[in-house]
Amino acid sequence: MPSSNRILTMSHAIAEGIANEMRSDPSVFVMGEDIAAYGGIFGATSGLLAEFGEGRVRDTPISETAFIGAGVGAAMAGMRPIVELMFVDFFGVCMDAIYNLAAKNIYFSGGNCKVPLVIMTATGGGYSDAGQHSQTLHATFAHMPGLKIAVPSNAYDAKGLMISAIRDDGPVLYMFHKGLQGLAWMASPEKAATEVPDEAYKIPFGEAKVVRPGKDATIVTLSMMVHHSLEAAEQLARDGIDTEVIDLRTLVPLDRDAVFKSVAKTGRLIVVDEDYSSFGLTAEIITSVVERDPTVLKAKPRRLAYPDIPIPYSRPMEQFALPNAGKIAETVRETVMKGH
Amino acid sequence: MSDIVVPEGLWDTTKTPEGIVGNWFYRDGSMVEAGAKIAELMVEKTLFDIVAPAKGRLHIVVPKDGVVKPGTLIGRIDGV
Repeated sequence: MPSSNRILTMSHAIAEGIANEMRSDPSVFVMGEDIAAYGGIFGATSGLLAEFGEGRVRDTPISETAFIGAGVGAAMAGMRPIVELMFVDFFGVCMDAIYNLAAKNIYFSGGNCKVPLVIMTATGGGYSDAGQHSQTLHATFAHMPGLKIAVPSNAYDAKGLMISAIRDDGPVLYMFHKGLQGLAWMASPEKAATEVPDEAYKIPFGEAKVVRPGKDATIVTLSMMVHHSLEAAEQLARDGIDTEVIDLRTLVPLDRDAVFKSVAKTGRLIVVDEDYSSFGLTAEIITSVVERDPTVLKAKPRRLAYPDIPIPYSRPMEQFALPNAGKIAETVRETVMKGH
Repeated sequence: MSDIVVPEGLWDTTKTPEGIVGNWFYRDGSMVEAGAKIAELMVEKTLFDIVAPAKGRLHIVVPKDGVVKPGTLIGRIDGV
């Protein structure tokens, strides 16, 4: 294989996953703002226009209300659309199409209509883009039944999850973090770019991945925070604390078994999320362990998430508020050392 | 040995004198095939693909984020 040693950024891996499916399935097409000529402002559709043309790679007007709604209709009419919501923060003007139409129409039709729609969207902050362009909103979408949610942390997973999303007969929200895309103009963690096979492959939904095995504590996380957590685990290893890191990869379905199995082994749980703290993912993960068997915990569970404030533009203020490796390591250390 | 050089005339240098290496798609020392997309350059926000001029072992001269102009030698390929 000429490309078995090829390293792709996450943006190229996503675009390649889409291209693989477009070659094999004529019902797959892409639309959104600046996804054709520009290749997506975060590169997730780069190269597609040149290969597949304007009929299947369509730039839309700046109306999420119109083109997300059109995506739902196209999916119900037999196509497999991928629509890009440029920033997840923009969901407000198209939420009716997402949660009242895409998420519910399979149920409302008694299973007679499929909705094989992928809504691809950019998440996350850390680069001073302020409160309307920096949110992750994982829990906002995971809370509502009817949508599957994929959240890759690296290029290999990104391609496999995209292909699974396209082949799924229900609606999938595919959330990629801007800072993982490997764009030349935005810093990206080194491990986000990985070796990626040329051919199509799937990563099943609902299977979390142990990205670092350990015995003293479990960090459950996703997306960009996987990389901060791995960095924290390296710091902790120097102090003799062996930390397991779990990358959830999909929020719906959620691999509660993998989380419980790990916590049953380590006895300590720290959940790290870039989404807001209250009413969120962190609480859900902790609850799923405590509900099953609280006696596996040797220390109180901890959560580290974004404070319940709109995200500031100022770099020092935003960086102060974001979870990072140092804060994660300190939280794990407290959990292991004090035990309460 | 084949040189990997930023092609002359790739972009209008009177408007934008310099670009950067956005990404290398193979690690230093990897085997690559002739014609494989091995790197991308970023000039303003435009990407340009760089393909391998020959089959062989890649040696990176200008790493990711390094500044380039048309004519810059960014790497070499040792034929095998």
